[in-house]
Amino acid sequence: MRTIILGNGLAGTMTGRTLRELDSSAEITIISQEKYPYYPRPNLIDFLAGELPLNRLFAFPPGWAEKQKLEIRLGKEVTGLDVDEMAVEIDRKERLKADQMVLATGASPLLPAIPGIDRKGVFCLRTIDDAVSLLEFLSTGPEVVVLGGGLLGLEIARAIHKRGLKQVTVVEYFNRLLPRQLDETGAGLLQSQLEKMGLKFLLGKEAVEISGQEAVSLIKFKDGSQLTAGAVVVASGIRPRLELAVKAGLASNRGVVVDDFLQTSRPGIYAAGDVAEHRGRIYGLIPAAFDQARTVAYNLAGQIKKYEGSIPANTLKVAGLFLTSAGLISPEGEGFEVLSKLDKENGLYKKLILKDGQLVGAIWLGSKKGSQEITRLVQAQKNPGPYKSDLLADDFDFSRLNSLY
Amino acid sequence: MEKWECTACGYIYDPDVGDPEHDIPPGTPFESLPDDWVCPQCGVSKEFFQKMD
Ligand SMILES: Cc1cc2nc3c(=O)[nH]c(=O)nc-3n(C[C@H](O)[C@H](O)[C@H](O)COP(=O)(O)OP(=O)(O)OC[C@H]3O[C@@H](n4cnc5c(N)ncnc54)[C@H](O)[C@@H]3O)c2cc1C
Ligand SMILES: [Fe+2]
Repeated sequence: MRTIILGNGLAGTMTGRTLRELDSSAEITIISQEKYPYYPRPNLIDFLAGELPLNRLFAFPPGWAEKQKLEIRLGKEVTGLDVDEMAVEIDRKERLKADQMVLATGASPLLPAIPGIDRKGVFCLRTIDDAVSLLEFLSTGPEVVVLGGGLLGLEIARAIHKRGLKQVTVVEYFNRLLPRQLDETGAGLLQSQLEKMGLKFLLGKEAVEISGQEAVSLIKFKDGSQLTAGAVVVASGIRPRLELAVKAGLASNRGVVVDDFLQTSRPGIYAAGDVAEHRGRIYGLIPAAFDQARTVAYNLAGQIKKYEGSIPANTLKVAGLFLTSAGLISPEGEGFEVLSKLDKENGLYKKLILKDGQLVGAIWLGSKKGSQEITRLVQAQKNPGPYKSDLLADDFDFSRLNSLY
Repeated sequence: MEKWECTACGYIYDPDVGDPEHDIPPGTPFESLPDDWVCPQCGVSKEFFQKMD
């Protein structure tokens, strides 16, 4: 059996690795457009911050692929997909046939379609090559503007600031940071914490043009205002790389559509990771890509396995600060009870949302203590009963909640 | 001994188990792992780990 895997990001690599665990004789070929062996993308943040050298970005020691008997072809692009013949075209010349295939082509950064987006000095961060060219440009010490106040944008801003660039501004389209994970109070607190670290913010702004002589020098916003910028880093979402799949006629929507076995509309061709859309959902996250890769590997090995979706981790580390956000965080309508506690001085914010006595949502910012227990309560939609009034206390013994189960 | 969790992928390092695949014997505290040790699941560096409570 020959399996071809398109892409050697996390999904492609973990599919190959797991398939090898399950089947010592499978022929496995991984084709990778990037010329580097597998590296986890979060390491790029530390690389950007100057805390991890280039040679330490990689996950596996030299010789790993050979030991695993994985044929990994680096610096090769799949340029065509023949789903009837189950074959790929590589670099427009070579043709390779397989018995089954996996699309693990991931995603690229979503770039807003505005004038000047291709100007010199505009960057994004997805690959080692992106990081290297950004770093090279940053060595001239420009004022940096990060477009996007989501998780990635905040991490990038903090990393650049850590590297020693003092002028770093994050621009966000919504009027608060992390709109998906935080309410207004929480976002305000996070922002002031990050401001204390030295970052600057501009909220509720939509960039409409990136202008300059040759390189970027100015960003113009919809409301007529503008901001000086020597370098722009775009972090405003991802776009699954589904061109090959679309051309080959595989069912697709925002991502390549897969069923509960992670199979595409063509039997024998699977998809995993940022390119895959399962039950309408594209996760864009490592844990989900990992779960999917493992499921695909089992199915490739003939050990049929179902994927029911992944539960994204609730506790995040945003620019060094702990944030837990679970369930409903900004309730609308009647019948909700909200308990909260804000301690600006210590950067703490806790919020609990109850409906009919049951805990349906929570935000825990600045503290990890209790976050796991609270998340568990939200997931089980438990009624905290006698402990309700104590939950927000910093010294509450969260192990007492065990009596509720 | 304390367990540590990978913030990128959720892998949990348990000192009682170690990481035998990478020659880390059981009983090795997280702090004593070599600097170039990486998450056995997703490959991020040690800095991405946080102590669990
Ligand atoms: C800087 C950064 C930090 C992140 N931090 C986190 C984090 O802390 N936690 C988290 O959960 N997620 C994080 N993410 C998201 C996470 O990296 C992705 O979810 C993950 O990389 C998805 O893996 P993938 O294999 O599906 O896709 P990718 O990693 O995008 O890999 C796909 C690979 O396929 C290759 N490819 C594409 N088309 C072709 C082709 N035609 N021929 C050959 N090869 C091709 C690409 O070159 C690429 O190497 C981060 C992302 C970035 C950019
Ligand atoms: Fe990990």
